[in-house]
Amino acid sequence: MNTVIDAHNISKVYNPETIPVYAVNNVHLHLERGEFTALVGPSGSGKTTLLNMIGGLDKPDGGNIFINGNDITKLSANELIDFRLKNIGFVFQSFNLIPVLTAKENVEFIMQLQKIKQSERDERIKQLFQQIGLEDKLNERPSKLSGGQQQRVAVARALASKPQFVLADEPTANLDTKSASNLLDIMAKLNKEENITFLFSTHDQRVIDRARRVITLVDGRIVKDTAVVSTEHKEAATIR
Amino acid sequence: MIFIMAWRNIWRNKMRSIVIILSIAIGLFAGIAVLALYKGMMKSRVRTVIDAEVGHLQIHDTSFKKDYEPQFVISNGADLLKNISSMPEVKLAAPRSITNGMLATATGSSGVQINGVIPALEYEASQLKKKIIEGNEFYPAKKNEVIVGKKLAGKMKLKVGSKLVLTFTDTSGNIVSGAFRVAAVYQSDNAPLDERNVYVTMNDMNALLGISNAFHELVVLLKNDEDVKTVQQTLRKKFPAYQIETWREISPETDLLVKTVDQYSYIIMVIIMLALAFGIINTMLMAILERTREIGMMMALGTNKIRIFSLVLMETIFLTLAGTPVGILIGWLAANYYNRRGLNLSGMGREMMSSFGFNPLIYPEFPADKLMGVLLIVVITAIVSCLFPAMKALKLQPVEALRL
Ligand SMILES: Nc1ncnc2c1ncn2[C@@H]1O[C@H](COP(=O)(O)OP(=O)(O)OP(=O)(O)O)[C@@H](O)[C@H]1O
Ligand SMILES: [Mg+2]
Repeated sequence: MNTVIDAHNISKVYNPETIPVYAVNNVHLHLERGEFTALVGPSGSGKTTLLNMIGGLDKPDGGNIFINGNDITKLSANELIDFRLKNIGFVFQSFNLIPVLTAKENVEFIMQLQKIKQSERDERIKQLFQQIGLEDKLNERPSKLSGGQQQRVAVARALASKPQFVLADEPTANLDTKSASNLLDIMAKLNKEENITFLFSTHDQRVIDRARRVITLVDGRIVKDTAVVSTEHKEAATIR
Repeated sequence: MIFIMAWRNIWRNKMRSIVIILSIAIGLFAGIAVLALYKGMMKSRVRTVIDAEVGHLQIHDTSFKKDYEPQFVISNGADLLKNISSMPEVKLAAPRSITNGMLATATGSSGVQINGVIPALEYEASQLKKKIIEGNEFYPAKKNEVIVGKKLAGKMKLKVGSKLVLTFTDTSGNIVSGAFRVAAVYQSDNAPLDERNVYVTMNDMNALLGISNAFHELVVLLKNDEDVKTVQQTLRKKFPAYQIETWREISPETDLLVKTVDQYSYIIMVIIMLALAFGIINTMLMAILERTREIGMMMALGTNKIRIFSLVLMETIFLTLAGTPVGILIGWLAANYYNRRGLNLSGMGREMMSSFGFNPLIYPEFPADKLMGVLLIVVITAIVSCLFPAMKALKLQPVEALRL
């Protein structure tokens, strides 16, 4: 197995001068390729903050984050933009897609930014839309898609560049149960079949149940890190 | 893809975009209308200068224009007149005897320039007959008739039939005077000229001056405006002893006016565009503000600053240029319509217009020659207006934009 994410001792403090809020407090996090991991915790526990730092959207106030061996805390803002483009797939809670572009164009846009050749793009788009089951919605604008369909397109876009891993901050928060489970099916399938690494935060117990590892945050600290050995047994092993 | 996004983004808020596109169209139309009006006025001014005032070229004795002293005549006038009239480029040549003198009536006097003319030629050269508003043209059988301008007639209380005395010096320096009767009152588009110039026949004038077969000025009208320079050169070679000038040299203020107005029209265009720029900036700022999350998301995904900037730039350019063809088209239609019908500005006051030498009936002309300049100003406006909104967009922090 090889390490994809290796975060050392990272912290994020808001309002350090007035009333300091330790959104993330001395967190160590280690993720191997092919993991399907959920980040859980009460509201305000620091899930979003942690994911943003790992995704290079936010800088930690202390600690280092190695992605594939590169310390991204050392990169400049402009280098980070390029780094995100080439290495990380993002799925946000909502408002994922560019409304003036069709589903296909949304995925293609990112691939264009990555300078992928037209022929390769077409092929990959075909394959991705098959995997998310939206071959018939290629040319629809996001406003014509359901919330679940939009999130599936977002997953397709996150995968377009074959990233190191996909970060998803509460991807099912705005979805009904059926769409949520459908999205999780697709993510799990991609994880299994293409060995894509997923790290997602969630509140939803049904989503948590699908994860193979569950990391629990409280007040910016990891309080529990549980590996589900197999879904059949649901036998949990506490690491920390 | 950025290109497609920019174009579609414009149509997200149709009402707002249409308002700004229309205001650019109207602004451009206004600019073009002013340019067309200026062009029409300048053309008509130049036409007036050539057709009704100085002609294309004038020939004088080299010393005459220093002091208008009557002894510096063009002698052998008849030969010169014949010679020049027969040139193929020349439409007409009209001689004038000119001197400065005093016009006196029973109640007062005024300094004037007295032009001794051959009526038939002068009617063609300066449209004198057309300018007559009261009375009749020179009556061949009558002697000592004078045609005076309206402004002077008003000042000196002259009417058709009034008697007056013209006094000036003859070629030998003696003071001579003659009694004249007002045959007609004329009015041109140039009030200051009307006040100064009176016309008598060359026969009467030359008799008083004591010259024969001679005159001071030869006005040359050409068939084509473009021939001025070449004919001037030909004449200079042929008649090196005379001073031969074009209308630009004789009336430098007209030339200067045309050039100044050219510059003014660009300034007006820039001012209109500057005003529009604020509208564009405002629209683009709103567009960016509304899309904070979207732009934040694009940046989070890895869209670099150059691309975000080009998106804002392209949107601004599309927004600005969308109204341009409409504005130009309306401008073109309006200019052509009034070019045929003529636009009567006498509402602004015939007096005011004529004191600057303008005919109140203007034929605006579409300023095709300035179109490139206008387009350049529009594009520069778009680029300048996009800078501020683009900075706003580039300053967005993806984390903060997405949290909203
Ligand atoms: N920009 C900010 N300024 C100040 N405090 C902030 C800021 N962003 C987050 N925080 C604080 O940091 C802590 C962690 O927030 P974060 O959004 O990471 O939590 P979360 O686990 O994602 O919560 P939720 O489940 O509600 O999304 C919270 O106490 C929050 O109030
Ligand atoms: Mg959160």
